[in-house]
Amino acid sequence: MGTTPEKIDQAFYDEMKKHYSTEEIVELGAFIGFNVGYHTFFGTLDFYPMFSPDGRLVDQEESRRIYGDTPKSHLHGAAERARESRPNGGKDE
Amino acid sequence: MPIIDPAPKEILDQPKIKQRIEKARALGVPDEMFFEIMAHAPGYAEALFDALYEPHAKGNVDHGLKEIIRIGLARLAGDGYSAAQRSALARQGGLTEEKIEAGLSDFETDPQFTDAEKWALRYGYLMYREPKKVNKEFYDQGKKYYSEAEIMEIGGLIAIHYGLQVFLSTLKLAPKGN
Repeated sequence: MGTTPEKIDQAFYDEMKKHYSTEEIVELGAFIGFNVGYHTFFGTLDFYPMFSPDGRLVDQEESRRIYGDTPKSHLHGAAERARESRPNGGKDE
Repeated sequence: MPIIDPAPKEILDQPKIKQRIEKARALGVPDEMFFEIMAHAPGYAEALFDALYEPHAKGNVDHGLKEIIRIGLARLAGDGYSAAQRSALARQGGLTEEKIEAGLSDFETDPQFTDAEKWALRYGYLMYREPKKVNKEFYDQGKKYYSEAEIMEIGGLIAIHYGLQVFLSTLKLAPKGN
């Protein structure tokens, strides 16, 4: 849907109907559509999560450092950067 | 025949749905086909219609300008269903087919659009074609013409309408009138 929507044709939906009800197909389609639209918009606003992976409230500068430009995983890398950003690398806690 | 069959009439007759169908009918966008498809998922038809309607028909930014942006996004998404529909409210406000086409072609040099309108049209044009150009500098320029609330109004309109138009494009819908 987000990259090659032309591939989502009658055959694709027929295959989906084997696994999902009409209600679920509409639910999935609307959910994905919303996400296709919103993530690009959010990306242009250049904002980052308010909380680190371990639940600390962080400012936008620190959050940017933790999550990076294109975070791929909430845990791998981001969690380590969150620990490293604490005084003493979080060893005092 | 759309890929998803219309929801049963008894679902469409539910007061919450009927009330929104009336609002949509008055605006002209979307037509009842939208509800017939979305009402398969309880609650979705209401929530999705509200999400589309609020930034499009309400808010501070000129509705006709947002209508041009909506139609441009529908074309980009390959959603002929949404692209073919027109807001009666925008038409009453003086929006013509000629102005829609002008807003979706060489608007940058067109004197009928103000600098503020050109920025909004550029916003709609760039968001899903060249989102990297929608950066801090771009938003700083937008803030000369619009409040932050108005920028969120336009951005929300662009995001919600485009996202759902991509979904609708896969369902191969035709407007009710066709």
